Amino acid sequence: MNILLVEDDTTTASFIQKGLNEQGYIVDHVANGEDGLHLGLNNPYDAMIIDRMLPEMDGLSIIRMLRKQNITTPVLILSALGEVDNRVEGLKAGGDDYLVKPYAFSELHARLQALLRRVQPAQEQTVLKLADLEMDLMKRQVKRAGTLINLQPREFTLLEYLLRNTGQVVTRTMLLEKVWDYHFDPQTNVIDVHISRLRGKVDRDFDPPLLHTIRGAGYILHDPTAT
Amino acid sequence: MIRQLLNTTVFRLSLVYALLFSLVAAIAMLSVYWVVERHITHQTDAQLQLQADVLLNRYGFSDSSSLFRDILRRNQRMENTTDKRFYYYELFNRRNTDISKNFQAEYSTNDPRIGQQLFATQPLNETINFSLLKDQNQPARILIRQLPNNYQLLVATDLTEQQSLLDDVSGSMWLAITVIVLLSLLGGGLIGYGVLRRIDSVQRTAGEIINGDLSQRMSVKGRNDEFDRLSIVLNSMLQRIEQLMQAMREVTDNLAHDLRNPLNRLRNRLEANQFRDPASTDFQQLNQDAMQDVDDLIKTFNALLGIAQVESGVQRDDWVDVDITQLINDLAELYDVVAEEKSITFEHQCDPGLVLHGNRQLLAQALTNLLDNAVKYTPEKGRIKLEAKQSAAGLTIIVTDTGIGIPADKREQVFERFVRLDEARSSPGNGLGLSLVKAVTELHGATISLEDNQQGLKVLIYFKLPLVRKNKPLKLA
Repeated sequence: MNILLVEDDTTTASFIQKGLNEQGYIVDHVANGEDGLHLGLNNPYDAMIIDRMLPEMDGLSIIRMLRKQNITTPVLILSALGEVDNRVEGLKAGGDDYLVKPYAFSELHARLQALLRRVQPAQEQTVLKLADLEMDLMKRQVKRAGTLINLQPREFTLLEYLLRNTGQVVTRTMLLEKVWDYHFDPQTNVIDVHISRLRGKVDRDFDPPLLHTIRGAGYILHDPTAT
Repeated sequence: MIRQLLNTTVFRLSLVYALLFSLVAAIAMLSVYWVVERHITHQTDAQLQLQADVLLNRYGFSDSSSLFRDILRRNQRMENTTDKRFYYYELFNRRNTDISKNFQAEYSTNDPRIGQQLFATQPLNETINFSLLKDQNQPARILIRQLPNNYQLLVATDLTEQQSLLDDVSGSMWLAITVIVLLSLLGGGLIGYGVLRRIDSVQRTAGEIINGDLSQRMSVKGRNDEFDRLSIVLNSMLQRIEQLMQAMREVTDNLAHDLRNPLNRLRNRLEANQFRDPASTDFQQLNQDAMQDVDDLIKTFNALLGIAQVESGVQRDDWVDVDITQLINDLAELYDVVAEEKSITFEHQCDPGLVLHGNRQLLAQALTNLLDNAVKYTPEKGRIKLEAKQSAAGLTIIVTDTGIGIPADKREQVFERFVRLDEARSSPGNGLGLSLVKAVTELHGATISLEDNQQGLKVLIYFKLPLVRKNKPLKLA
């Protein structure tokens, strides 16, 4: 996977670069907007991570230019401006996700993975599957090992999001954003409570457990017996 | 000072006013003078006509010798009297140049008309400055009547008295105009000086404030004039600024306190870890704790920034009509399970179709802060209720719990940043939750009040009508 990183703070950039290299990505790093746009226009990347405030040309302009050239590579915007309207502005310019500084690397990684997953052939799946867990999006039914599991509508959405990101870490903030559409940090453990409730329905009476907690990062849905 | 005074608007205005007033006064007085002069001339002429008529009626045109004698007698009587209002008569034949020579010898005048017209046939009806030679510059008026046989009758009267009356009138007129001009200049100067003094005082106070003494206030004279009103407005502005500065100072102090402790803790942990074996469980544990410390710091920092941004009131561009019913139901669903974990009964009640113009994210965040608090401070087997209802006056959102509540005397204080009633700070939280709630309610022009719920706390957020309106004026409480 080739990633373009446009970030003017060299410490942050080398930290991200190192982290992503360890995860097996190939990262091209440039420190100013014009170079970023040049690379973005001329190389096929799988995803781009672009800081909002850059020398020469700001991040949003780069994204607008890229989108004008019909380059649809997913873009994750990094910004110190975290307020709601700034976020909306970033997404309107053509960004696919927005991450506010300071952030944990695990959050960045999780969001990047979610973006990369999104570009995979998006054929309209009507059934999502993991091991013996099965979700029918048309009938809005969930079965595990053939047994029907009764889920509340929000639990269904939560599980659907986890299933669509199978094998990838999703953070609490991501869940609050994607499932509840709240763009602020949860102060308490609301997400944990909902996850544990979902886990009770999906995992408790079955084996192996599919929904796992990653300490300090978030949650992951995966089949530990598959690999 | 003089220069400043001359530059004041008030002085200039009063100067213009004075000039205008003087001009009007001068015009009025000139017209009075003109009327008086005309009246006097008219009367003098009537008298001259009367004198001539009397003489001619008595003697007729033919008896010129009797007329001549009477005239001599009258003139002699006139010369012996000290009365200034005298009449002088002369009868002469046009051909009798002696008489005219005689007249010219006795009287002098600079007026060229006397030579041409005195002996002409036309009557002369103008004031001519002529005088007795022995008594220079005595103004007089003459009337000449044409008689048959080429005789002419001349009647003259002295104008000294009338002239002095007119002189008096014009003298007092000039005096009045001078006084008016001087008084208005003086008045303008005094008013300008007064205004300048008030402005100087405002300027001085402003200077002291600029130099850092925020406790200074503009002086209010108690006259309730425009300067007093301006000073009162400026003073309340200064009051507000001082309060804000005070609040800012408190925030900075609290910030230093609340950030210094976790930073110190973090430093200690990292220091302790320096010489530990990275593989040891102690090292791992300390590392986890350090990360937790940093996360807490970031949360506090973000919360502070969020409150500041909400308080600055700039987030109004993306306001929409928020479906409150939907929001309440969503939040109820989110918190129902959280409450259940703690064996707390969670209820919610919401009128259908409630809509409010505002920022959905901020409203949601404010309500989650209230619900977080409710869950945190309500013991097991307690109750939490989330309600939203619309009345004729507005929309009210109510969060009630059966928790530990807030003492009545602390209910204002808890909205301040970093204020936590839990002195030991044992429970999680940063003391910023209610500050954000307060900021969000004020941004939406709503009021928040904390009440006793017999046991526990009742939080009421009251949104005044109209609930759906664009471009609300920014209200800073």
